[in-house]
Amino acid sequence: MQRRILSYLLTLWIVLTVNFLLPRLLPGDPLAALLDPQSSDYVFDAEARAALEAYYGLDRPLPEQYGRYLLGAFTGDLGRSIRLNRPVGELIGAHLPWTLLLTGTALFLASLLALLGGTEAAWRRGSWRDRVLVTAGVVAGNAPVYFVGMMLLILFGAWLGWLPLAGGRTPFAHYDTPLAAAADVGRHLLLPALTLTLALVGAKFLLVRSSVVSVLSEDFMLVLRAKGLSEGRLKWAHALRNALLPFVAHLAAHASMAITGAVFIEALFNYPGMGRLIFEAVGARDYPLIQGVFLVVSTVVLTANLLADWLNARLDPRLRAEQ
Amino acid sequence: MTGAAAANQPVPLLAVRDLRVYFSPAGQDGPPVRAVDAVSFDLADGAALGIVGETASGKTSIARALLGLHPPGSTRGSIRLTGQELVDLLEEEWRPIRWRRVAMAAQSSGSAFDPLYRLGEQIAEPLRAHLGLAGREAQERVEALARRVGLEPRHLRAYPHQLSGGEKQRAMLAMALCCGPELLVLDEPTSGQDVLSRARLIDLLDQIRQESGAGLLLISHDLAAVARLTGRVAVLYAGKLVEVGPTAAVLAHPRHPYTWGLLNAYPNMTTARDLRGIRGRLPDPADPPPGCRFHPRCTQAVERCRHEEPPLALAGDRLVACHLGGLQTLLRADGLRKVFSGHGRPGPEEERVEAVREASLELLEGEVVALVGETGSGKTTLGRLLVGLLQADGGRVVFEGQDLAAASGRQRKALQRRIQLVAQDPFDAVSPRLTVAEIVREPLDVQKVGPAAEREEKVRRALQAVGLPVDPAFLTRRAHELSGGQLQRVAIARALVLDPKLIVADEPVSMLDASEQAKLINLLKEIQNERGMGLLLISHDLALVRKVADRIVVMRDGEIVEEGLAGRVVAQPRHPYTRALLEAAPAFAWEDVEERDEGGVILEKQSVIPAQAGIHPE
Ligand code: SF4
Repeated sequence: MQRRILSYLLTLWIVLTVNFLLPRLLPGDPLAALLDPQSSDYVFDAEARAALEAYYGLDRPLPEQYGRYLLGAFTGDLGRSIRLNRPVGELIGAHLPWTLLLTGTALFLASLLALLGGTEAAWRRGSWRDRVLVTAGVVAGNAPVYFVGMMLLILFGAWLGWLPLAGGRTPFAHYDTPLAAAADVGRHLLLPALTLTLALVGAKFLLVRSSVVSVLSEDFMLVLRAKGLSEGRLKWAHALRNALLPFVAHLAAHASMAITGAVFIEALFNYPGMGRLIFEAVGARDYPLIQGVFLVVSTVVLTANLLADWLNARLDPRLRAEQ
Repeated sequence: MTGAAAANQPVPLLAVRDLRVYFSPAGQDGPPVRAVDAVSFDLADGAALGIVGETASGKTSIARALLGLHPPGSTRGSIRLTGQELVDLLEEEWRPIRWRRVAMAAQSSGSAFDPLYRLGEQIAEPLRAHLGLAGREAQERVEALARRVGLEPRHLRAYPHQLSGGEKQRAMLAMALCCGPELLVLDEPTSGQDVLSRARLIDLLDQIRQESGAGLLLISHDLAAVARLTGRVAVLYAGKLVEVGPTAAVLAHPRHPYTWGLLNAYPNMTTARDLRGIRGRLPDPADPPPGCRFHPRCTQAVERCRHEEPPLALAGDRLVACHLGGLQTLLRADGLRKVFSGHGRPGPEEERVEAVREASLELLEGEVVALVGETGSGKTTLGRLLVGLLQADGGRVVFEGQDLAAASGRQRKALQRRIQLVAQDPFDAVSPRLTVAEIVREPLDVQKVGPAAEREEKVRRALQAVGLPVDPAFLTRRAHELSGGQLQRVAIARALVLDPKLIVADEPVSMLDASEQAKLINLLKEIQNERGMGLLLISHDLALVRKVADRIVVMRDGEIVEEGLAGRVVAQPRHPYTRALLEAAPAFAWEDVEERDEGGVILEKQSVIPAQAGIHPE
């Protein structure tokens, strides 16, 4: 595990450095352009310009810029957004929880469905039920997120009117109890989370199914059957338990898939998460914001990776022995 | 078993009738493959049956059928456990039978455990499922089982990957015993073990067999284990039983050619023999040969074997599936005598020398027998009597069921084609003026075999078989231009060219140097194996011939003093003369060891350098 943590820290440092170097190496120096009155990107707001100058310190030597940047990253000072004229750290702090809520919910639901469905399908591989599930999995995995979200929105939001059309909660609402607040957030969460779940469940399902199928062909499964154990024990305690290892190993990849998907879905549902922040930042060429978002998203994905590794080591005694 | 028979006979623990197991072939379509075909056997309470056969002979399919592990519908016939029919039970109906009544220690214990659970947990699983035991009770029971198979509590706390193959094998055994089954199926319990742990495991199995009182079905190619643990043995070839009988009798005197081949190919620590398997290979189960499934590999197959399947028929103490009733005797000599009168030589007993006295000898189909003795022991004379070059003064020689002496002229000519002699000194046997091609072709010319082109072809093939070139330059060489080794090879090719059934080779290598000797003797064995001939090797050099001989016959002063399987004769010689021969044999020169690893089966160290032996020709 120590080696894992070391490599995690190393990767994190590389990400930080790339994030630092990239805009500085881009042709036309986009950062300088912000402060150049001749450029079309020139920031007119004097206060914002001052903040930019202070944050980037483009007039100082590069190593000093780098040192200040690293220091800022660790203390949460990610500069100031040009467009929104607020500290980037504050903006991210306001949006990140929403995205984590959305992706976390969707990942959990998709995993649960995939594990149950994948194991059942593998157990009855070749049957009509298996074929239906596989087809559904392939379709769900390949359907365009945007389109699926739109259909759900039209059906449940516009047509049936059961669920809110947009936002993370009802604007200007006042809640009497925390429960009421949670219910409101939940109602807003439902459609985007469902859309993201559908986007994620296909790949996960196929992964679980093929892992369980390969576990079922192992010698030990035959021995376990010969032992006269119940079907439930064979299926869940042994077949699925073994298939969990590849599943967890893919968890980090699925987490980054979830975040990418979330960007589109948040835009569609006007959900107040990082996705909207990204759209705004890119649209306005808000460099401090873009860098900040990139940094935070990378850190989240890297951390998910580390967590998955740790979890796998917990689950597999053979890996535990190596450490 | 008919109803009437069942009424007055005790119901056996296990009665298998006409068992067939089908597999759908890998490519989905095509007819199902029959992995097990019409197999029937009984197993009485507390008895032990061995099922032997090569890998892919269907052994494991039988084991799995007994636990209902094949896909539904693929097992046919009848399996009765104390009278209860098991074939076609539903999965839920199987559950209370599995492990509770029939337990199995599976092959490849290396992958027989779930890698994610501790061994103790996995051994305890059936206890909960079948006996409702959990917690302390289960724990205690598991520990007791572990002690019984020689494992400690720390092994139970370990994960499968932390244990050695032998420990897993033992854990598997403990697991199989946990519910006290009536029938214990052991599928290759000793495979993948080194010699020492194998021996210990067999001891343990023997002990368990005696204590548990369970019926034992031992599926294995480990003949040592089968011999030790079972009372009866069934030999399986390509999904069919070919021989069933008492273990001791079958292993001592195999009747089916396949059983015999299997025994001969079995590595034996007491034989310093080069192993050579049964020629050919196991047929593709999807497309078994018609008739007797063994016929493409059988050295004694007749026309009938090609299209008619032999039934498993009672023959004495056992069942054998062979049209000829089992292994045939190729050559039998009964009480052969030969007396030479010494012309002009003064001496007692009216100048008579009894060269061969009441010698009897047998050579089975495809067998290599070494006839060993000193110069003057009469072995060369005996060899000449056997091939009909000398007339016996008493006794008779029967070859393929035909009395050599009684044969008519035409029959005799035919017989001469089937028995060939390779003489000690090739320079004696061939005219030095003949070319290689002429020497090898001569027997074909004498026998008037086919047109000239066919003869040329046969000559070429015979020369290739002995590893000689067939280019025109070599074919036109004259005998006197060849080296001793080359000439002896030419002589062997000359013997082979008629496709004989038996080759009698009299000191075929004694004129050659040591390394050439070893090469040629191995070549002879190879050719013998490939063609399925019989080979009688006459030699003074016990150390050399024991590498290739199945049986050794020792001769002294015209008399046969000892005869037996090569391993036995070398390991436990009975006659003092044999012992003397062995002691005089070349000492091992370890600086010159030649290591040979035959398919990973045995590692043999054998010097090819003869030391100053006490026994030498002339
Ligand atoms: S002699 Fe015929 S029937 Fe007997 S084993 Fe050989 S091939 Fe089969």
